[in-house]
Amino acid sequence: MARFRHKRQKSFVKPTMKKSTVDHVTGDKIPKSFVFSRGKVPNSLRQLQMDLRKLMLPYTALKLKEKKRNNMKDFLNVAGPMGVTHFLILSKRDTAPYLKVARTPQGPTLTFKIHEYSLAVDVARSQARPRCPPEIFKNSPLIVLSGFGTGEQHLRLTTVMFQNIFPAIDINTVNLSSCQRIVLLNYDKETKQIDFRHYSIKLQPVGVSRRLRKFVQSHQVPDLRSLQDVSDFVTKAGYGSESEADDDAATVSLTNDLGRVNRASTKSVIKLQEIGPRMTLQLMKVEEGLCSGGIIFTECGNEGKAPKQEVKEEE
Amino acid sequence: MGTVGTQASKEAIKFPKKRKLGKKKGSKAKKLRRKNEQAGPKVRINRKLKQLYKKRAVEYNSDDEASEGEARGVTSDQLDGEGASSGDERPDDLHVEEEKGSSDEEEDEIEEGTRFAEGCRAFRMAFTKIMKTKISSDVLGPVLSAHKKLIAEKLAEEETERKVKGEAKKEKLLVREKGHVKPNSYLDTKDKFLISVATKGVVKLFNAVSKAQNAQKGLASSRSKDAKALGKQRKETFMSELRKPLGQVANDFSSKNFMKGTTSSNTQNDEEPGWAPLRDSYMLTDSKLKDWDKMPDQPVAVPVDGLPLESSSDED
Repeated sequence: MARFRHKRQKSFVKPTMKKSTVDHVTGDKIPKSFVFSRGKVPNSLRQLQMDLRKLMLPYTALKLKEKKRNNMKDFLNVAGPMGVTHFLILSKRDTAPYLKVARTPQGPTLTFKIHEYSLAVDVARSQARPRCPPEIFKNSPLIVLSGFGTGEQHLRLTTVMFQNIFPAIDINTVNLSSCQRIVLLNYDKETKQIDFRHYSIKLQPVGVSRRLRKFVQSHQVPDLRSLQDVSDFVTKAGYGSESEADDDAATVSLTNDLGRVNRASTKSVIKLQEIGPRMTLQLMKVEEGLCSGGIIFTECGNEGKAPKQEVKEEE
Repeated sequence: MGTVGTQASKEAIKFPKKRKLGKKKGSKAKKLRRKNEQAGPKVRINRKLKQLYKKRAVEYNSDDEASEGEARGVTSDQLDGEGASSGDERPDDLHVEEEKGSSDEEEDEIEEGTRFAEGCRAFRMAFTKIMKTKISSDVLGPVLSAHKKLIAEKLAEEETERKVKGEAKKEKLLVREKGHVKPNSYLDTKDKFLISVATKGVVKLFNAVSKAQNAQKGLASSRSKDAKALGKQRKETFMSELRKPLGQVANDFSSKNFMKGTTSSNTQNDEEPGWAPLRDSYMLTDSKLKDWDKMPDQPVAVPVDGLPLESSSDED
């Protein structure tokens, strides 16, 4: 047993991720992340950790094993050779669970209080037809940050942080079929809370009846028993419900074909469906270092325990 | 009529007799025998017996046990007498002797009966007393008073202990599940709003991408002249596309000089696009990321309700 464990450890330390750390199209460094938890964490939070790992796919360690005796240094040591740039650390305190988002190896660290959270399972359970095909996790999500433009320093830092957590896209070369997920962070000024959502993106052609769309998508022989003529299949609209009042806000025209259904020539509607997890975060603290160092910002009012003059001038 | 009447009387005899059977075993066997033997003079005897048995039955049925005990004594006496009278008719002495023996037994029985009756009374009194006592409807039920207090205390203790334990468990669970909420099955206004925001973001990105990729369709990046134009076009079109609806994107999330109070001049930054990912040097060097906390060079004018949309995704 002991020997076996020794062997495993050895293989674990070895940086097996030999994938390129640099994007071969844009030449940017691809950010990678570890999601783990510190301290004793209840089951639901463990589930949340798993959900977050899935969200961070593909550039994350989905099966990262952590032990009680692992400290931050262990993770840092592994992160170096693996090219891991971000840590997402979950922890549990009596008041609430906390999420720390940190850049490695030098920081900064943002500490969020998780006011509320729902797991991906909960979200899927709340939906009539949950949609979560495994292919959408092959590409990293887009990120949309909204409401952060209030000019406060810590908010800017948050935006920078979250932008850099996912690989950047090159607008000229990006293949839109790879954009299948989106992470939304919406800052609410009144409550000072950030809503964290995770959606899947679905494109549907406009002006095509549901029947035809299904036919093209599924490639199955349609049931024509109830029809008098084959032409009825095309001409009859069926029940034209399902919020066909597609607002123009959600329609896009594509330059390239996207799948079989969404051709370049037609217009398509963007539909989002939540896949979870969802969180309500509040930024509590910003530290200079990796879970250490001077405090740049705290929510609790006593701002700048290691005060910087610049900060005071700014405020 | 005669036979029928006798039979009926026989039945009448039988009934009370049967009742008495268990109590007087000695006389029972004898009487049965006698009945079988006597055929002729049974009418007279039967009448007597009938009265006797009737009386006895009444006494027996009456609730008063004391009187019953007396009656029992009386009846047994009478029976003896009767038995003696009937014994005259019998030829053999054996029966008489037997009878006498049985009568002795009867006498013993009488004594026992009185004793038993006394015990019975005592028992009855005790029983009725117990039955009359009103039981308090607490958890314990009827328990001897000596232990009542102790047991009650113990039970109460257990109860409180269990309560405390349950509360602790509940509290623990609450702490563990703190913040965990199940989403509603319907979309509330907030979620609708969030979805619309996200949709807007995606639409913006898709449109920008299609614009950019449409523009470069005609140009071949292999020629150097085209490549240059391409580079310029890319940035311009994309930036203009992004800025159009917002007025200005909250652009400078760049890793440049974040916290410095002085608004430094921004000479070198004019050429570069405001959005960090579009810069050539973006994320290539760590030095810039290291000083993320320096002040941005321009004070950024951000629309209040604008969505500083930043979209990034991976290569393919």
